[in-house]
Amino acid sequence: MMRRSSTLVTAILCLSTVAFGAEPADSKVDFGRDVKPILARRCFSCHGPDEAESGLNLADKHSVLSAELDSGLRAVVPGDLEQSELLRRIASTDEYERMPPEGEPLKPEEVAAITNWVEKGAEWDAHWAFRQPEVVEPPAVENESWIRTPIDRFILSRLASAGLTPAASADRRTLIRRASYDLTGLPPTPEDVEAFLVDPDPRAYERLVDRLLDSPQYGEKWARHWLDIVRYAETNSFERDGAKPNSWRYRDYVIKSFNDDKPYDQFVIEQLAGDELPEKTDESIIATGYYRLGIWDDEPADPLQARFDELDDIVSTTGQAFLGLTTGCARCHDHKIDPIPQADYYGLVAFFHEITPYATRSDQQTNNQTDISPPAVQKQYAELETAIAALKGPMEEIEQRGIAKMSAPDQRRSEGPERQKLLERKLGGYLENADLERYTALSAERRRFQAQLKALPDRTLAMSVAKCLPEPPETFVMLRGSPHAPGDKVEPHFPVLFEAKAPEFPSDESGSHSSGRRLTLAKWIASPGNRLTSRVMANRIWQGHFGRGIVRSPNNFGQLGIPPTHPELLNWLAKTFVDGGWRMKPLHRLIMLSSTYRMSSEGNEAALAKDPQNDLFWRFDMRRLTAEEVRDSVLAVNGRLNREMFGPWIYPKLSQEVLAGQSRPGEGWSDSSESERNRRSIYAHVKRSLPVPILSVFDFPDSDGSCEARFTTTQPAQALTMLNGDLLNEEAKLFADRLRNESNSAEGRVRRAIELALCRPAEETDVERGLDLIGTLTASHGIDEDRALDLYCLVVLNTNEFAYLD
Amino acid sequence: MVTSRNNFCGRTRREFLWQAGAGFTGLGLTSLLEGDGFFSKQAVAADGVTPYVNPLAPKKGHFDGKAKAVIFLFMYGGPSHMDTFDYKPAMVGMDGKTIAVKTHGRGGHKNEGRIVEPRWKFKQYGESGKWVSDLFPNLATCVDDIAFLHSMTADSPIHGSAMLMMNSGKILSGSPAIGSWVNYGLGTENENLPGFVVMLDPTGGPISGPKNWSSGYMPATYAGTVMRSQGSPILDLERPASLSQDAQRTLLDSLAAYNQVHLADRADNSELAARIASYELAYKMQQHAPEAVDISGETQETQNLYGLDDLKTAEFGKRCLLARRLVERGVRFVQLYAGGAHNDDNWDAHGDLEKNHNYHAGRTDKPIAGLLKDLKQRGLLDSTLIVWGGEFGRQPTAEYAVGSGRDHNAYGFTMWAAGGGIKGGMSVGATDELGAAAVEDPMHVKRLHATILKQLGFDPNRLSYFYNGLDQKLVGVEHTEPIEQIV
Repeated sequence: MMRRSSTLVTAILCLSTVAFGAEPADSKVDFGRDVKPILARRCFSCHGPDEAESGLNLADKHSVLSAELDSGLRAVVPGDLEQSELLRRIASTDEYERMPPEGEPLKPEEVAAITNWVEKGAEWDAHWAFRQPEVVEPPAVENESWIRTPIDRFILSRLASAGLTPAASADRRTLIRRASYDLTGLPPTPEDVEAFLVDPDPRAYERLVDRLLDSPQYGEKWARHWLDIVRYAETNSFERDGAKPNSWRYRDYVIKSFNDDKPYDQFVIEQLAGDELPEKTDESIIATGYYRLGIWDDEPADPLQARFDELDDIVSTTGQAFLGLTTGCARCHDHKIDPIPQADYYGLVAFFHEITPYATRSDQQTNNQTDISPPAVQKQYAELETAIAALKGPMEEIEQRGIAKMSAPDQRRSEGPERQKLLERKLGGYLENADLERYTALSAERRRFQAQLKALPDRTLAMSVAKCLPEPPETFVMLRGSPHAPGDKVEPHFPVLFEAKAPEFPSDESGSHSSGRRLTLAKWIASPGNRLTSRVMANRIWQGHFGRGIVRSPNNFGQLGIPPTHPELLNWLAKTFVDGGWRMKPLHRLIMLSSTYRMSSEGNEAALAKDPQNDLFWRFDMRRLTAEEVRDSVLAVNGRLNREMFGPWIYPKLSQEVLAGQSRPGEGWSDSSESERNRRSIYAHVKRSLPVPILSVFDFPDSDGSCEARFTTTQPAQALTMLNGDLLNEEAKLFADRLRNESNSAEGRVRRAIELALCRPAEETDVERGLDLIGTLTASHGIDEDRALDLYCLVVLNTNEFAYLD
Repeated sequence: MVTSRNNFCGRTRREFLWQAGAGFTGLGLTSLLEGDGFFSKQAVAADGVTPYVNPLAPKKGHFDGKAKAVIFLFMYGGPSHMDTFDYKPAMVGMDGKTIAVKTHGRGGHKNEGRIVEPRWKFKQYGESGKWVSDLFPNLATCVDDIAFLHSMTADSPIHGSAMLMMNSGKILSGSPAIGSWVNYGLGTENENLPGFVVMLDPTGGPISGPKNWSSGYMPATYAGTVMRSQGSPILDLERPASLSQDAQRTLLDSLAAYNQVHLADRADNSELAARIASYELAYKMQQHAPEAVDISGETQETQNLYGLDDLKTAEFGKRCLLARRLVERGVRFVQLYAGGAHNDDNWDAHGDLEKNHNYHAGRTDKPIAGLLKDLKQRGLLDSTLIVWGGEFGRQPTAEYAVGSGRDHNAYGFTMWAAGGGIKGGMSVGATDELGAAAVEDPMHVKRLHATILKQLGFDPNRLSYFYNGLDQKLVGVEHTEPIEQIV
């Protein structure tokens, strides 16, 4: 059976998780984890919060456990299987009796889970994620020799109770490739591999992990995980899809934060309230670029709707990214499954309500760009800009007098980007003498100021929450989510499910940049006592290493999410994370040094039969390289990857066919120099309406919303890109050039190609096959030897071995 | 075309099995692997669903739909309804009169304006006696096959968001296009061709470009593929220059040999097998896709029917002909853009209405009529749903002090549908006597979407995809009725 899977199999996986959940090692029934998700999925549509047919609302404790149904029966009588009508109906074989009446019956294991719950007393406890986590000691195990870190105890004890044994340890060659990609997104060089293989130090692997964690490429790899979650993009989408100036500083901020091992609580606070910190820095201001990353319509049909859509983007992203909560449903009504009333959604809106919109169409700077230049420079700019602004009104007044006399097409032009050109060419002809004189004088003055402005040193601007509204606006619950239908007023408050103390706000000093509400929220999210924050992040770190989280729905810890496969481990990891000062590198280390992480990915029939989805981690899951890893690796193996870090985005080369899809082909895209084009993919421009094909074809995410986990699709468009695309063909030739430089013989070149691309020495069969291909191409297809080697390199870059990690 | 994502899928088992589709024909994997007992060696999930599934394998809808395919003729820019299919006799003789009328367009909200009398004469056609303006003399002969939707409404009169609305049901970007929903729901009948094809105007793409055929939060597998009517039809379909088909075959054989060795120790990973198969499929696409866009085998008579013999209509005519060929070959959703880029390169007639609409109607009238007639004579119209329209209509009043240009209008406009089980010679809904707003049976764009899905065999309120904590639907969370009058 496959290791990972199609969407379909994801479904199987959900169900099988439920199945495993029904009989966890502790054999304690957990209503929130084992039972409620089944009820929510299969029964709520008729017997839930909206409809309670026959008097049964399965979302309501009283209705299920105590109330009499319309029929006079009781849905559940704790401990009494006979008297519980619910059980009789879900297990019935009579199709007129069986529930649910439509679709397939519940699966046997689902019926078993519910039955088991009733039998054990039908305890109605809260959803696992909404309770204060209980931290248990790592369990004792029989096979102590397998234990390298406490993580292994949690994993092994579950494996043992399921009668499974962990896979053998992967060999060093596999480990260095796995670890290098996990931490840096790049393949190890043959020299790195060789050194690691012969390293006699028993701590060789530990030192490898430390070296990789310390490398600057670590930040580039792990920042990308975070950028997926915060819907990072560098343009606004919609008609103009304009660039977001200086958005790249936020990307650099994230890379630096990871490389500096910035404590996660600080990382959270800076992004949510870096502009409200008493000791704010350039960096903390840049961090608030977080709020400015979303889509923004510069010409909304309904401005109020657009305003609330923008706030929804912030609430929804913040809920998912930091708290693992999907709050979206509660915009229009109380959440049907999770305990999130609509008032809580608007309570969150109230924290963010004073943030200005991203921009206005005529001023795309004031709200979102903070000047972080030296103060003296800032002052000079301010003076000149005030002077220029003062000229605008009088000049426009004269312009409009002239425009009013122009032809309709010209009037139309005056409203668009051609305005300035039009005015320069034609305005004079439509003005009275007095106006013309005055206009000429004003223009000259403006030119003078503009020249002075141009002579100033460049400003440093940061995309950020540059401006807040003077007062936080009042926030109302919007009936059915319509911004035109305000209901009750709400104050900023934490969602009730957290059972948290009411927030306390600093007194708002007049003239201050903002109210401090967001700082209050940020500190609460980043507090050790928050029930979700640390678990959500610990889960993401786990996901980064194993390809899936302990909770497989990392943005959704709610009841529609997937329950954790190892809840105790997750709680323990989260506590360890917080106790270690919220630092991520020690957590990476702890995970990577475990026996669990070091297992081989090899299958074995017994385990495949018992746990085909590897829910219990009996082996390491293989994974395909990510989009960035594919492109970066191609550049790395031919030795041309430009490792320069940071700075403005670069433009990968796009073909004319790709640009032809734009309404103005080539708009918003430029050429970068060859060496710039060879930089890592994280620096490639993320333009919402123009995805880079080599990245999007390998599942680079759509950046309009938070991406919790990337898809891994396999489709022929990938093969076409890799076989026929310009990039791969050019790079294959350059790869061959490198081989020609490094070796004189065809055999030597083939060997070197395998070593560089696949991180292992070539086997004899590899060499034979390579020479055979080169031979056939030259002998039978009229291809010269150099070109044949180019094509051989293309083959190597297309192999599954290149694209997959063990 | 395997997709994996470890997320939740809150679907009923029925939907879940439905998604699993009819089997494992995709990618030719069965034939590749069955012989050596690959499948019999696989562990199978408890409910008997085999793990490997091609998301684009043909699937069944919720029921048997009348339509197998959709051709969406996107009149980008927004054609004027009162100058094309929405006959407004009350406006005749009113040219230049200033009247009170509420409008909302790119020029903002207005309460009065100067009437621009429709610039073309209307006549009645067919047995149904439908009114059509002189802009469409050819299409007029097809009215008995057409259902006109005269009371369409949309949420935005601004191109960017209105395009997204017409294509994805939302004014915000990030949601899948309707073609992606169809791809997701039905897969493709021909694995050698994409399931969702977009063909652009030679002047350029529409505003927001690829956002209009994006798969949004769904996997990229379901996104639209741009096909070109000239040169290599699909991006990177063409082999590199100097590489013959035979040489490429040699190359692929070598690749397969490397991959087989790698697979031997990892036979339980079906993604690896799928990736091997995807290269074979790509190779097959290289042979088949060019054939689909090669019209040399079409008779002169057929070519003329689409207007290929006239310079004015040849370009759009060729794309209409290709649309028929793609549908014949199992492509589910074809979207043709009539008009591209900006301003008068599309139907966006802000300046000179007559010049603009004469041009755009002139180059599309005969090809569209040809498409309808050709599909009909081949017996394909019954199973092919044709949809015509723009992202909105236009205002009855002038945009500027001078000239005939009309601003955008999302309060009321006309679209039409034909074939695929749609009743011909029908009209539904009406705008007021000026065409300013829908007054009788107003129909939001979502209702059109619901109708398209229904004709393809879906309950539009049940076709869903779990994302961001919600069962997302093309028609939104609120119950949306298809336009029952026309089906």
